[in-house]
Amino acid sequence: MFPNRAALPRPSPFKAIFLAVSFCLIAYMLVVIAGLVVYPPLPALIESLLSPEILFAVELSLVTSAVSTAFCVIAAVPVAYSLARFSFPGRGVANTIFNIPLTLPPLVAGVALLIFYGPSTFGKMLSEWGLDVIYTPLGIIVAQFFVNLPYMVRVTRSAFETINPRYEHVARTLGCTEWGAFRQVTLPLARSGLIAGLVITWSKSIGEFGAVLMLAGATRMKTETLPIALFLNMSTGDLDLAVAASVILIAISVISLAVFERYTGGRGVF
Amino acid sequence: MLRIAGLAKRLGDFALDGVDLTVDDGEYFVVLGPTGAGKTILLETLAGIYSPDAGTIDLDGLDITRTDPKDRGIGMVYQDYMLFPHLTVGENIGFGLKQRKTDPARIRESVQETAALLGIGHLLDRTTGTLSGGEQQRAAIARALVLRPRVLLLDEPLSALDTVTRERLRRELKAIHRATGTTVVHVTHHFEDIFALADRVAVMQDGRIVQTGTPDEVFRKPATEFVAAFTGMENVYCGVSRVQNGEATIDLGEIVVRTVTAIEGDVCVGIRPEEVILSRRPFESSAANTFPGTVAEIRQNGMFSRVVVDTGLPFVAVLTRQSVARLGLVEGEPANVTFKASAVHVFRR
Repeated sequence: MFPNRAALPRPSPFKAIFLAVSFCLIAYMLVVIAGLVVYPPLPALIESLLSPEILFAVELSLVTSAVSTAFCVIAAVPVAYSLARFSFPGRGVANTIFNIPLTLPPLVAGVALLIFYGPSTFGKMLSEWGLDVIYTPLGIIVAQFFVNLPYMVRVTRSAFETINPRYEHVARTLGCTEWGAFRQVTLPLARSGLIAGLVITWSKSIGEFGAVLMLAGATRMKTETLPIALFLNMSTGDLDLAVAASVILIAISVISLAVFERYTGGRGVF
Repeated sequence: MLRIAGLAKRLGDFALDGVDLTVDDGEYFVVLGPTGAGKTILLETLAGIYSPDAGTIDLDGLDITRTDPKDRGIGMVYQDYMLFPHLTVGENIGFGLKQRKTDPARIRESVQETAALLGIGHLLDRTTGTLSGGEQQRAAIARALVLRPRVLLLDEPLSALDTVTRERLRRELKAIHRATGTTVVHVTHHFEDIFALADRVAVMQDGRIVQTGTPDEVFRKPATEFVAAFTGMENVYCGVSRVQNGEATIDLGEIVVRTVTAIEGDVCVGIRPEEVILSRRPFESSAANTFPGTVAEIRQNGMFSRVVVDTGLPFVAVLTRQSVARLGLVEGEPANVTFKASAVHVFRR
């Protein structure tokens, strides 16, 4: 008989040490995050959550993130499909370019956007048409879109890659156009992946700080999203409002992570 | 009539290299070839999934080389079925009719009719994941057939199935072909398929067609070493099998072969040349089949010799050169052919 490791009465030292490290870190993370949530007394927290400033930040965050996520989805679907299905010259390079914002510090992305939409010819042109991006809520959307598009592209591409192209081939022999096969077969099959990508993109755009700070600025009650509210109130020492903004951001990230895990079946895509 | 001329397509490691084929209306045409010969690309190019690099495809006198797949009237069934997992079996079968904007009542009727023909009428409300392999394959065939395609392309339709299901579905394919009269192009690497199904066969190798003919011609007179080696059964004869107490006697006309099989009726048998034993005189052994004959031909082939002994039917045996010398086999002299019952491979015709 070979010794059955799982049936041994006690875990081996190897297993015990690795598990101990894991559990210590889990406890550490929970304590840190929970500590923030329970830091202010509950009535004070509720009062802060209902303050006009936080309510404004919540509304602005929801609106801008919804719009930028919608644009991310619309843009990411054709890009992700092309990267997953078509072979074209420069495909590898294209892949890398779409991934740049993943590793680029958002602050840098923000400065680049600021220069592109500000002093450049394009920025001046937009300005003449009345589309002011810099230091406006529109800038928030532009910044969120730029930084979060690669997340949507990655998740969506991975969803398309798991679908056998023969489904589309069969659909086309059954009378579908290329568009029809995509709409009736590929999109429904990619549904879980699209939902997962949408949730993670939305959650990332709610939390986006660096790029938004650079492009849209941090103007109280104008470009004040939740992370900006957190930043502004921390810098003025108004801890209760800062914690309130944090608590909302924690809730959003926990919920969206749960939804994401459910739709990707726990498969990592990053 | 489907006429393919000079068809070429390069796709990664696979390629078609000047394929010429003609498939008659209502014919069951089998393309036989090993894995990687380019069979699936051939079908996908016929279906219009890929545009060929060169050559033409002509269907009923119409050049369809550049026609969109949806307008070709060619149905395709993949080895791994490719049933749409987000639709029920019934919705899968009705998918093509829905694209044609057929009236829903008419779709239901056609779906039921076709499903009944394939014996899956009771499965229409099921999701595709709950079906067995054989049921999925029937559903995939029904989905293509319901559109009454001018040509039905089958990509290894029996390969993913267990032996029993494969045998049954093979018979059903034959029956469906007879019932619908649809022209079928079926690609396979199982040579058993051609006896049961094919009106004509093309053998494919490295993206080329190396031989075309009736199953009999291809097996009896392999055009190339490759065909002979791939089919591997040179001693192929057809006759009638009768089974009694688990033992079968197969009347091949000139001789009667004994073997063990459950297959009765019209069959073909194949015996590999290396399983045929030759001797000058009959000898007592456990082998069930011994026939006297005359050495018709001895051909040197490297270390081995191919010896043909005419026993009423010509049997090919492969012997070492030393054995030929030791036995003193000479063309025109008598010799006996012996093989065991287990050396006889039986296929339904």
